[in-house]
Amino acid sequence: MYRERCLVKDNKKVAPGHYRLTLVSSRIAKAARPGQFVQILCSDSCDPLLPRPFSFLTATARDFSVLYHVVGKGTHLLSQAKAGDSLWVLGPLGNGFTDRGSWIVDRGSKILLVGGGVGIPPLYHLAQALTRGKSKGFARNISVFLGARSKAFLLCEKDFKKLGVRTYAATDDGSKGRRGLVTEAVGEFLERIAHSAERRAEMEGIALYGCGPTPMLKALSVISKKHEVPCEISVEVPMACGFGVCLGCAVKVADARQGVRYAMACTEGPVFGADQIVGE
Amino acid sequence: MVVKKPNLETQIGRIKFKNPVLAASGTFGYAREFEKLTDLRRLGGIVTKTLTLKPRLGNAPTRIVETPSGMLNAIGLQNVGAERFIGEKLPYLRKLGVPIVASVMGYSVEEFVSVVEVLDSAKGIDGFELNLSCPNVSYGSRSKDGGVRMFAHEERLVAQVVRAVRKTTGKTVIAKLGPDVSDIGKMARAAEDAGADAVSLINTLVAMVIDVKKRRPVLANKTGGLSGPCIRPIAVRMVWEAAQRVSIPVIGIGGIMNAHDALEFLIAGASAIQVGTAGFVNPNACVEILEGIKRFMLDEKIRSAAELVGILNA
Repeated sequence: MYRERCLVKDNKKVAPGHYRLTLVSSRIAKAARPGQFVQILCSDSCDPLLPRPFSFLTATARDFSVLYHVVGKGTHLLSQAKAGDSLWVLGPLGNGFTDRGSWIVDRGSKILLVGGGVGIPPLYHLAQALTRGKSKGFARNISVFLGARSKAFLLCEKDFKKLGVRTYAATDDGSKGRRGLVTEAVGEFLERIAHSAERRAEMEGIALYGCGPTPMLKALSVISKKHEVPCEISVEVPMACGFGVCLGCAVKVADARQGVRYAMACTEGPVFGADQIVGE
Repeated sequence: MVVKKPNLETQIGRIKFKNPVLAASGTFGYAREFEKLTDLRRLGGIVTKTLTLKPRLGNAPTRIVETPSGMLNAIGLQNVGAERFIGEKLPYLRKLGVPIVASVMGYSVEEFVSVVEVLDSAKGIDGFELNLSCPNVSYGSRSKDGGVRMFAHEERLVAQVVRAVRKTTGKTVIAKLGPDVSDIGKMARAAEDAGADAVSLINTLVAMVIDVKKRRPVLANKTGGLSGPCIRPIAVRMVWEAAQRVSIPVIGIGGIMNAHDALEFLIAGASAIQVGTAGFVNPNACVEILEGIKRFMLDEKIRSAAELVGILNA
């Protein structure tokens, strides 16, 4: 975890109201793991006061990027940042996704990434990490399900294609891919395997990863439970500090060891096992 | 005259703080969370997250929401409880070589006494800050009983808790007062008369934010405590009022973001200050505030922090 004033390398619009911000910091970038996040101060004044959390989209040896949606004053100010400006950044923060890349080699597993809206960026970071230095054939074991309002908002689709992973899209208006929810596509994908006598064994090696709106994550949890496949989800909750002191970003979890309690999304998450989370 | 090294020491009760910049309760965890982000040994002192006799899970989410130049929180005193604090958190804090003030809270006078008793015997706790003013927990039957929302709302209750704790411990006792009262001076006097070594103020202001589409409060607890720079002018005024009414030290708290803000409190009459919400934005805030106070003292040729306290021309 480092706190640095980072130079803005680039801040580019990638979809309506969506920007990709690249910041220079070798320390933060080198330490970044998929699913982890940074806190960025959007202003040096007191309004907005708190930093904003963003998952990594990419991280190289020199810089890292985040992809954000302009939703309020903070992200609006952020969208005004220009190359050469600098911003306070704290990170990397939290725990990322479990790397199950070796499952693909060892067990012939299939990895399913399911993302909606600005939940997609951390999954791209994960797909990148999984496929780095691997063959095209390896990448075909990773399937990405992307959900958005419409075609224009479908984030990172081309980037995923470049990695060689399989991509499926679902949009609310049907302007790209199937019309409807991305989780319906995932559900059907798994049903086909479950109902095929010769493919049923494949289920053993399937792992799900999800990030997106809460209803999407809930639906994904139900699917993973039904098919008894491991599922990790990255949650988004209001957060102040990002490093475990304000206790604001509570997520209700349950486990055999500690019972029901509130875990902090910033330090224990933002990635949780879908089976850990208890609804309020 | 050249001031080379200003004297920043400040005495509160039996504690000699090496400087007047303390980390505020509830915003600094148990300090370890900050170890990679600031030099904890440079702090004047650390006030822990409020401890209760038994561990508390805290409130359901949503627990926080940002407001203009501030934030609203309703954490609900999530904490590990006094005993686990001694076993798991205190050994680390003790090693820092910085005075440790345990913030404590009970649902009754007896419970305040019990939690202080448990902690009093532990090596490494220098004093207690009585959280009489948490806005985010309900006091059960007590609230039905006299319509009392928190101890800090009534002089009689402030006095009862302080007096009972005073009898229990020889360590420094600080009464943390809340701002939602008509006369803060009266509350401070009640604490002083009951034997408190100092008063600290202000705690957060009870406030609410509404989600207009859902017609519901944003926080699950409905209301929360407002903190951050938006409350600072209120806090400065209340510290000024309280300081005129008591002879014990006043510790100023409320939206301090930088040295300038801290100086306002010292000049208004605070012997020390606590930094809370600023740490969420800049984890190194306490150290930067301390540096800024030193610079100001050098520039203004002020030899000791004590010279600044209460020198307001008003």
